[in-house]
Amino acid sequence: MIEMVNAFVLGLTQIFTGTTFGLMLLGIVIGFIVGILPGLGGPTTLALMLPFIVKMNPVQAFAFLLGMAAVVNTTGDITSILFGVPGEPTTAATIVDGHPMAKKGEAGRALGAALMSSLVGAVFGAFALALAIPIVRPLVLTFGSPEFFMLALLGITFVASLSGEVLLKGLIAGGIGLFLATVGLCPMSSIQRYTFGQTFLWDGIGLVPITIGFFAIPEIVDLAVQGSSIARGRVGILGGVMEGVKDTFRHWWLVIRCSAIGTYTAVIPGMGGATTQWLAYAHAVQSSPDKERFGKGAVEGVLGPGASNNSTLGGSLITTIAFGVPASVTMAILLGAFLIHGVVPGPDMLIPEPRGHLALTFSFVWINVVSNIITVGICFLFLNQLVKVTQIRGSLLIPFILLLIYLGAFAEKNIFEDLILVLIFGGLGWVLQRLNWPRPPLILGLVLGPLAENRLFLSTDNYGYAWLLRPGVLIILSLTLIGAFYPIFQRKWQKRKRDKGQPSVQKAVSPNGTRIPRFSWATIFSLFIIVVFICALWESRSFNVRAGLFPWAIGFPVLAFAIVQLIMDLMGKGDRSGDDHKGEAGSELPTDIVNRRTAGIFGWIIGFFVAIWLFGFSIGGPLCTFIQLKIGYRERWPLTLILAGFSWVFIYGLFDRILHVPFPEGQIFLWLKFSSV
Amino acid sequence: MYKRLLSLAAIIIGLILISFPTLAAGPFYEGKTIRIIVGYSAGGGYDTYARVISRHMGKHIPGNPTIIVENMTGAGSLISANHLYKVAKPDGLTIGHFNGGLFFNQVLGEPGIEFDAKKFRFIGAVVKEEVAFAFTKASGITNIEKWMASKTPVKMGGVAPGAFAPDNVIRIVKAALGLPIQLISGYKGTADIRLACESGELAGTSWGWDSMRATWRKALEIGDVVVVMQGVPKPFPDLPKVPLAINLAKTDEARQLIEVGIHSPSIFARPFVLPPGTPKDREEILSKALQEILKDKEFLAETEKAKLDLNHVTGEELEKAVAGIFKIDSTMLAKLKDILFK
Repeated sequence: MIEMVNAFVLGLTQIFTGTTFGLMLLGIVIGFIVGILPGLGGPTTLALMLPFIVKMNPVQAFAFLLGMAAVVNTTGDITSILFGVPGEPTTAATIVDGHPMAKKGEAGRALGAALMSSLVGAVFGAFALALAIPIVRPLVLTFGSPEFFMLALLGITFVASLSGEVLLKGLIAGGIGLFLATVGLCPMSSIQRYTFGQTFLWDGIGLVPITIGFFAIPEIVDLAVQGSSIARGRVGILGGVMEGVKDTFRHWWLVIRCSAIGTYTAVIPGMGGATTQWLAYAHAVQSSPDKERFGKGAVEGVLGPGASNNSTLGGSLITTIAFGVPASVTMAILLGAFLIHGVVPGPDMLIPEPRGHLALTFSFVWINVVSNIITVGICFLFLNQLVKVTQIRGSLLIPFILLLIYLGAFAEKNIFEDLILVLIFGGLGWVLQRLNWPRPPLILGLVLGPLAENRLFLSTDNYGYAWLLRPGVLIILSLTLIGAFYPIFQRKWQKRKRDKGQPSVQKAVSPNGTRIPRFSWATIFSLFIIVVFICALWESRSFNVRAGLFPWAIGFPVLAFAIVQLIMDLMGKGDRSGDDHKGEAGSELPTDIVNRRTAGIFGWIIGFFVAIWLFGFSIGGPLCTFIQLKIGYRERWPLTLILAGFSWVFIYGLFDRILHVPFPEGQIFLWLKFSSV
Repeated sequence: MYKRLLSLAAIIIGLILISFPTLAAGPFYEGKTIRIIVGYSAGGGYDTYARVISRHMGKHIPGNPTIIVENMTGAGSLISANHLYKVAKPDGLTIGHFNGGLFFNQVLGEPGIEFDAKKFRFIGAVVKEEVAFAFTKASGITNIEKWMASKTPVKMGGVAPGAFAPDNVIRIVKAALGLPIQLISGYKGTADIRLACESGELAGTSWGWDSMRATWRKALEIGDVVVVMQGVPKPFPDLPKVPLAINLAKTDEARQLIEVGIHSPSIFARPFVLPPGTPKDREEILSKALQEILKDKEFLAETEKAKLDLNHVTGEELEKAVAGIFKIDSTMLAKLKDILFK
């Protein structure tokens, strides 16, 4: 016991020696920038930094790497809130309520809430790691494939909470996500599913291009249509920030619960920040009595994911340290760093020195805490400046946001085709937003689908059907059922209460009179989903049972749901809130201006894509920035040139020259080469 | 309007001039970046080797290029192999590092193979994938006699049909030696299999002894995991007493199965490969660099520290071994096909 306390203290003092602390600061600075820029992911940067750690000692190496990994999610939240572009794939959930807050002029409050909850989450995750150390091995070893499958299933039921007011649409969206997760090579049989002969689809549809397309494209369309700055209201500057900090303490238990969700979900191999953020968001929605505010700028929707994406690191570290099984890409790279230093993850990590590496393990805890305190401290100093970004006129921001969108989509896997996915899912995201379909369930389905499918087959192969009766499975099943049905009962009780209080009002609000069947955009979209699913299921007739089970088990129910949705649309029932939403988005603007501006921004979005395709990133990007600013928005010459130059330095200097991001050559140059040969 | 267009044109030309790749003469690799595309995720055996190499190989190439590692995971690295053949440019700037067992799949006529192994250019390998079969102490399989005597099939973990290790080697010893085995495939990698073994879901598995020894070190030291058999022609120096699979074979056919299905693929299991059509001079530069790196003190110090074993295979040896599997006769081929994919 005393040995443990000693190691705990030693872990802290170790990181405050000169070089180690310096390296941690350096790591923090790099992580800070990486988090803010959507094009640069945490894992990619970690992999780039690995060579530098060879000459450091283990504590220094991890101070550097973990310092970096610990802050990416904190600063990633900033980009998500301010621009509606996910700074990191793990900070997409912060957009859903954080960006609407920025639009309302509450950017300061949203940032304050995100930063403070990030800090709480990080500290929680770090200490959960510390506390878990004695019990973690036996605990995780009671889990087998059946339990992993059940946990994935439990996660999928969160779709219901993410659907908000429109449960049926949410279920369909979640189903689409699960179905999209089957695209690629089937992991059980190596059969190609829905790849259309495209190599880039073999790996499945990437989370990053979907998330960016889904959230950033509709936001940029909105920004262009409004023709104003991001913030439409008056911006309350620093008071807002303090308000956000206070919000964290106002919703203290929510923040703690979401931190716990982040940490303990991340212990499961295959579930990282990309999943936990949505589970935390779903929990924030579900636990709020006032669900209608979500998606329109509810601070709880920022606090939940803000806390969980930071607490995730502690959880992922648990599995990595105790078993050498990386729970996420970031962890896999850290594992590589362990091996470089001859440190073998496993039981030794949990035994005090000199036989083990407990002090090193505890130093991870402290690095996580200290680096987050430093980052949040630095952020608060700059928040004033950051918030002002939301007051810059949209025309100056749009070219840069577009560049960030495409850079971000490309740089994750360095595949050009991902840009096409951004366009497709951007269009889809925009349609879903306009027709009031919830987008988060789709993402959740996409991230949990592969885990569920894989573990289902492993369970059955290992245990036959006996796995259904394992105690762990039954416990998680009952939790799932409680989780799924509790909100329904809760809603009923609340409704009964409300009905008792004011029965007459209810009746007055509900629309009366019969509606004639009608064809609207909503109907067409539901029909579109039905057609797509019919085609997909038809295509799946050639799959064998191992490859086909999952697509069939999801496809047919979703098809049925979609048909019900279509009938509701035809009856004019499904679209009420959609109409409200439309009215809200283009409130003060006449329809023809909205239509013209929408067409215009889509033109630019596609134009950027074509320019990047033709000229490559380093020429196409600045060129488009220039054309859009000068010809599109008629900005003055000096400003246009400075901004276009800046974007060139940014793309060519930073990404191409310094980071060696392998940009593909412009198509035009390829043609020129061919013709000259 | 005319003036505006003119200035626009000037800017386009300016940008093109500035961004155009360096026109200056010098060694081809000067200022270039070589990518090693690894078919497995970061942190695994393939990745670990590729990353150590990436840190040291540059200085053995004229022009000292930057070398980066990218992971392209999926289908037991088939995605990256096809990518290297079909998509990657044969400019000597892309090196593939994937499971060489896939060459076998081409010989067997498996679907999904979109390459012709004979057309790849081979620059060598730094390690052979020589396999050991290990089980947890808790499974009760602590020696070959106990394994042979087991009444119920022993659960062993795999990743995907067609992968050399664990899947192919497990299927081959099952067929050749008649060992009681239930192969459960679909785990994400050997790390996940390791965890499943420790939790008792699986009894054991088989993969490269070098990698197993590094990642499962503690459990092997304290005897929680035991090596029961090895799939090599000569025993590993540190496993002198563990029986060889080939010595347990009772028929000529069984022996041939193990030779063709396990011994010879272990030579080309971890190849470094260039896309077909890569210029010969660049292939030679890279091949030479891979040889020289094995005498590089810093490289050796790092691999020593990380407990990574080295066992060099030259480009020619690789090419020969791969060409060899295209000569297997048709009855043997049919037999193998049956074993590996049914």
